[in-house]
Amino acid sequence: MTPAMPNSALPSRKLLTSALSLVATLALLLALCWYLDLTPSSFEMDGSFLFDLTQQFFPPRFSLYWNHSSLLWLSVLDTLSMAFLATVCGGAIAMALAFLAASNTTPHPVVRLAVRSLLVMQRSIPQLIVVLVLLLAVGIGPFAAVLTLLIGSVGMFGKFFADAIEQVDKGTSESVQSLGSTKLQTIRYAILPQVLPSFVANLFYAFDNNLRAAIPLGVFGGGGIGFQLAVAHDLLHYHDVMAYTLLIIVMIAVMERVSDWVRRGIITQPASSHA
Amino acid sequence: MLSVENIEVTLPNGKRLVDNISFTVARGEFVAILGSSGAGKSLTLRCIVGLTQPSHGNISILGETGKTYSTTNVDAKGLRRARRHIGLIFQGANLVKRLTVLENVMLGRLGFISPLRSCLIGFKDAEARDAMVALDRVKMAPFAARLAGSLSGGEMQRVSIARAIHQRPLIYLADEPISSLDPKNAEAIMGILQPLSRETPVVGAFHQPAMVAKYCTRAIGIRGGKVVYDGSPDLSPRQLENIYSGSDGDPIPMPALSEQTPIGPSPFFVQPASHQAPRDLGHGAPN
Amino acid sequence: MATSLFPSATAAVEPPFLEWRTRLVRQRWRQVATGGTIALLVAITAWRCQVNLASFLLGIDKGVPIFGLFFPPDWASLPSMLKPMLVTLVLAMIATILGIVLSVPCALGASSNLAPTPIRLILRFFIALERGLPEVVQILILVAVFGLGVIPALIALSLSSIGMLAKLLADAIEEIDPNMLEAVAGTGATTIQVIRYAIIPHILPALLANGLFRFEFNVRAGVILGAIGGGGIGYIMRSDMLTLDYQAACMATLLTLSMVFATERLSDFLRARILDGGQMRRGRQRRSIAGAAAQ
Repeated sequence: MTPAMPNSALPSRKLLTSALSLVATLALLLALCWYLDLTPSSFEMDGSFLFDLTQQFFPPRFSLYWNHSSLLWLSVLDTLSMAFLATVCGGAIAMALAFLAASNTTPHPVVRLAVRSLLVMQRSIPQLIVVLVLLLAVGIGPFAAVLTLLIGSVGMFGKFFADAIEQVDKGTSESVQSLGSTKLQTIRYAILPQVLPSFVANLFYAFDNNLRAAIPLGVFGGGGIGFQLAVAHDLLHYHDVMAYTLLIIVMIAVMERVSDWVRRGIITQPASSHA
Repeated sequence: MLSVENIEVTLPNGKRLVDNISFTVARGEFVAILGSSGAGKSLTLRCIVGLTQPSHGNISILGETGKTYSTTNVDAKGLRRARRHIGLIFQGANLVKRLTVLENVMLGRLGFISPLRSCLIGFKDAEARDAMVALDRVKMAPFAARLAGSLSGGEMQRVSIARAIHQRPLIYLADEPISSLDPKNAEAIMGILQPLSRETPVVGAFHQPAMVAKYCTRAIGIRGGKVVYDGSPDLSPRQLENIYSGSDGDPIPMPALSEQTPIGPSPFFVQPASHQAPRDLGHGAPN
Repeated sequence: MATSLFPSATAAVEPPFLEWRTRLVRQRWRQVATGGTIALLVAITAWRCQVNLASFLLGIDKGVPIFGLFFPPDWASLPSMLKPMLVTLVLAMIATILGIVLSVPCALGASSNLAPTPIRLILRFFIALERGLPEVVQILILVAVFGLGVIPALIALSLSSIGMLAKLLADAIEEIDPNMLEAVAGTGATTIQVIRYAIIPHILPALLANGLFRFEFNVRAGVILGAIGGGGIGYIMRSDMLTLDYQAACMATLLTLSMVFATERLSDFLRARILDGGQMRRGRQRRSIAGAAAQ
């Protein structure tokens, strides 16, 4: 006398359903691929291809690292500068806009709405279009990339900062206000100290993001090591390409550690509040 | 039928955590192993199931057809074969929370299913029906399609017993199965284990002498890695004291089968100062 | 006079006040130093990045009319852009699926509680590499090998998806309660069975949720990679810009925006369903889950 068991719990039934859905999804995917001509016929990979690959890219042209006329290290500096500048200025602008976009610090609800929509727009527009337009406007070079990164950072962090400001503990700001201070003073003494630590932590995260994003922007013409990489690639100097690639890997890894270290150094210091 | 012979577990510094423990368990027995934490009872259970290898000794399980399974001095395959015939019940149930109750029970027979079939196809309908019978025995059949993570502690423990039942083992091993349950659920679990023990022996580590006296057929007391008592489960306070308050060294925190053994003296027993002579607690006066 | 009347009082007040004042002064110095360093760094980086007011104003001067050239978007080109948009979507889908499927063995081999150390180190290195190297750089190398087209973009996206998902999975696997694994192994199950029935059900919801999140990212990255020759709508966008067909580029942008937006909504919806459905399908209240989880 087996107790009752719903048919849907039977293993064979479950197996059937999952197998069917798997097959259906695969069929759909394959159909789409065939429709879009995404066939693996371009996948001609035999042994000689791999050999070609290794021969083309290795050994990397390490002489670029110590050749005085190469722009390698300057371009690294450029990329780092782009990320740093965009983070610092973008962070400042984002902070200012965030105060306008938070319900407890905004001068007027209409302003809040306007700024919030502006931030959403900045977040959504693909960086690709922005950089292409800016390249036309201000010319090739790091300036276009910095502006693109700036817009992206403001969009990403303005919203976050605004939310953080709105979630601040009301008690502190009310007590400061009850002393008869102006709105600006309330912001400075009650809200800012509470929000500053997470601001700073996010700035480090933003720097890391911007550093990674600066490289593709450089490829499109934005200067820095991405630009050098693209130039070498177009000239078919693949040994140079590999040298740049290895440097990029090291740069990103090192900067992650450094910013971790700096951030930890700042956190362990007593939080500086304006006395 | 379980046979434990001269088990010894020694630390690198020479200290013996399990010192020459031997006992046999026959059909129809419900054996309770008592002892304070660190006395070596959890370690003994771990040795039986092969999670710890004793430095000396032999553990073997005799099957119906005369075949013997051993968890000592065997390779991984032999160990797996032996484990199929041991039903484990942990203190914390240890179900896979993201699977349904029924699937958790069916896991019991994984040792008997080929890896290929279990990974590609899964379980058969017949196995599901057997699992339902096991669930019914612990009165959890209505919960079959529920996710294991949505059950309460007592319910999860019952499901883990069902998993062990589904395994159709030669012996059940329980590591403090009722220690984290409230009294009502604890009684329910013991009420399931007792009839179970009449067909297949159950060996369990317990901290609750009252429950042991009520349900078990035999008690083994372990202190300082040695067997100090083996007999009727109805223990007098003096005998309990003898088992628990040994001054044979400090209790060393050892991982239980499931690392949730409470560290410290038995909660049902007020510990006298260890350097005083044991008093007759019949007068009922604590320190 | 006051000092002689209340000597003990002033003696008690002086040192704390001095201490506070020196602390304040030191703090001010620290703030000035930090601010000064940052300002200096900003100046240096601004110089390196060729930031100057003149080109900025010139840029606005040039940029605004260009911006006007984008509108109105060229609706006529919409039908011809649908297929490339689908290409980018399918590309992102395949890359995500490959990422989900292949990240499981990668993560299993990268977990400290499962894998032998040499394999674990190699896989962890691979994961770190894939996460550290931007997809754009990867595709440039792959284009040199495979030529232009969807394949290099697919490979680059799949590899970095595997990297990201495998890292999350490996960390989750390392945190699994070993008691649960011991319980399943105690029935005599082989390691593969333990993985299939104890580990995989545990990580599956997280894997799917993260996979969906990665899908969103892959769609956006697919657009960028497309622009470097990978095909799809990114390629259309870039080539339209290069041929000065700004209205078509605007149309492509609008399409991209709607695609990304739709993807985000879909992903959010599916993720909410996964994370909620995994917790309490036809079950009890939350408190018994909390109670059971506390066991």
